[in-house]
Amino acid sequence: MRGGQLRLTVALLAGTLGLAALGLVATHGEEPGFLLPIPVELAVGWSFVGAGLVGWARRPDNPTGLLMTLTGLVWFGRQLEWLDTPLASHLSHVSVNLFLALVAHQLVVFPNGAARTRVERMLVVATYAVALGGYALSKLFYDPTAEGCAGCPHNLLLLFPNSGLNAIANLVPSAVGIVLVVVILARLVRRWWTASPPARRVLAPVAWTGPASLVLVAVTIGLYAVGVSATLDRVLQWSTLVYTAIPLAFLAGLLRMRLHRGALGGLVVELSDAATATDVRGALARTLGDPSLEVAFWLPEREGYIDLEGHPFGLPSGGDRAVTVLGDGQQRLAALVYDRSLLDDSELVRAAGAAARMALENARLQAELRAQLEEVRASRARIVEAGDAERRRLERDLHDGAQQRLLGIRLALRLARGELEKGGRAVDELLTEAESELAQTLDELRALARGIHPAVLTEEGLGPAVETLARRASVPVQIDRLPVDRLPSAVEAAAYFVTAEALANVAKHARASGVRISMRHADGSLFIDISDDGIGGADSAGSGLIGLRDRVEALNGRLRVEGSPGRGTRLRAEIPCRTGPDARAVDGA
Amino acid sequence: MKRTILIVDDHPSFRRFARRLLEAEGFAVVGEASDGASAVAACRRWRPQLVLLDILLPDIDGFAVADTLADEPQRPVVILTSSREASDYAMRLERTSARGFLAKAELSGAALAALVDRR
Repeated sequence: MRGGQLRLTVALLAGTLGLAALGLVATHGEEPGFLLPIPVELAVGWSFVGAGLVGWARRPDNPTGLLMTLTGLVWFGRQLEWLDTPLASHLSHVSVNLFLALVAHQLVVFPNGAARTRVERMLVVATYAVALGGYALSKLFYDPTAEGCAGCPHNLLLLFPNSGLNAIANLVPSAVGIVLVVVILARLVRRWWTASPPARRVLAPVAWTGPASLVLVAVTIGLYAVGVSATLDRVLQWSTLVYTAIPLAFLAGLLRMRLHRGALGGLVVELSDAATATDVRGALARTLGDPSLEVAFWLPEREGYIDLEGHPFGLPSGGDRAVTVLGDGQQRLAALVYDRSLLDDSELVRAAGAAARMALENARLQAELRAQLEEVRASRARIVEAGDAERRRLERDLHDGAQQRLLGIRLALRLARGELEKGGRAVDELLTEAESELAQTLDELRALARGIHPAVLTEEGLGPAVETLARRASVPVQIDRLPVDRLPSAVEAAAYFVTAEALANVAKHARASGVRISMRHADGSLFIDISDDGIGGADSAGSGLIGLRDRVEALNGRLRVEGSPGRGTRLRAEIPCRTGPDARAVDGA
Repeated sequence: MKRTILIVDDHPSFRRFARRLLEAEGFAVVGEASDGASAVAACRRWRPQLVLLDILLPDIDGFAVADTLADEPQRPVVILTSSREASDYAMRLERTSARGFLAKAELSGAALAALVDRR
């Protein structure tokens, strides 16, 4: 356990630092004016290190514990003041500012422990910039002797002594520091105000101690900027004890995420009474303390999620919502979508999900059933609509094609009779024209009939029918494989129309230079694979494809269209061959 | 004096046979049009007395074309025609501004003349 050893080392270091400070006080009798009374010094440092180590051990994935530990160690840097050298004096002052910046940093990023937004990152950077840069600025024109501190250590950062500039250089960072404190405070209040209940529970301890200590920091900065009396200085020194509340508050917030782990037991009891998916969702929402929790179920045949009502559900990515996917290792089962503030305890979400597995599995089956029912209803409506549309198309085709030509022929024959009566010589010409019109009519009728149901499919089967389609296609078609045996007629028809529609789509939209078709009859299913090298981007929700999907799904099959722009389109379908009454007839044949 | 007529239909073979049939029966076919817009333009240009107008045209339907022609200054007599039957358009035929309807299957010079002279 490297983390454990590291933490032990840090604990020993913090102990040693504290004891060393104690030893210095004991041997020197009086601490340097800048340091606080030794009990305050030890209490603040050890509270940060102690709480930090606990948080770090309990939540290793959350940087908050590590940050707190670091803050405690930095605090002990103040003790360098004992050395009474110019460099040590600077370093001890820097460690004070760094300590304040670290506290502010944690307030900005709590409870995630890391800055997540640009504003947060900017605030963190500004905090360190003011703490370190501001310190350097405040020393540029500060001459200890000139300012009435002859015993003070020599100022290494002194550029040139100037009392007026020195006052400004001290005032500016203090003012900026106060502004920063106010901004961080305001953000904390606003976060508390807008937080969801689970987030609020985690924020609560910090939301109370954070502002209190920040106000203290602001007051302290302000008072020191204008100068303080000896008594007030002493009071301010002891008030620093308030800082010990900060690490405890951070720790409390961190551990609160764990506290409701006890609610898992209650969840198990509640779930035993849960009859519906809605009950399961409610039980999970109560356990996790997130009323906005959503449950989505995975539907393997659709390769997508559905909500409790059976509607398609898209998982959110980013934003305020976090997602935990539950499954059994091989197959996804469901997804929990919840307030991002719970993400710090994704184990709890996972544990609650695991406890709810059985109930979720049941609920998933219910939701799946509902989704199927809804889909069946929709597809039934689409099939009726498609049938009507097909009839309209047939009427129009007949009207525009064969019927017009036959009318023409009738007129021609009528004319011919008139010519005959007159003994004219145009009869031969009219009959020739009528005959050619008749021939074209027959061709058109054949094409129309083929569109309704191709004879080659009935007579010869799927293989020859697909070959015919390939020959007629406007794009070169390469056939890799076709089934040789006859399949149930519904399967053959579905496969034929899938191919016909795919080829029609390629001709219309794909701008492809070639198509490959492969059909394989194996394991009781027909596998269809049609790909082109065109522009891709086919919409699988397009009306032609929806109709095909209905046809394929009516046979318990699946149809999928893949294709991203520029990489061609690939249509794949799998149709079981052993369903329906036709299956037996073919088996017996 | 022969009656002048314009034939409007999107099927060239029908236009061809109709022209010959009507010419054989004493009409003067002054032009042909294959859609509604060109029918209106052809009417303004040739000023036919009659228009044999197919209902199902690729752009606007024959009823709309008939209404447009009814607002033209020369107001040609419009006879609608279709390969469908009159009963397919019963309601709209009642309200149309066209003089009458003649199914394509019934087309002859005599039938056309009878419809035109009805009023």
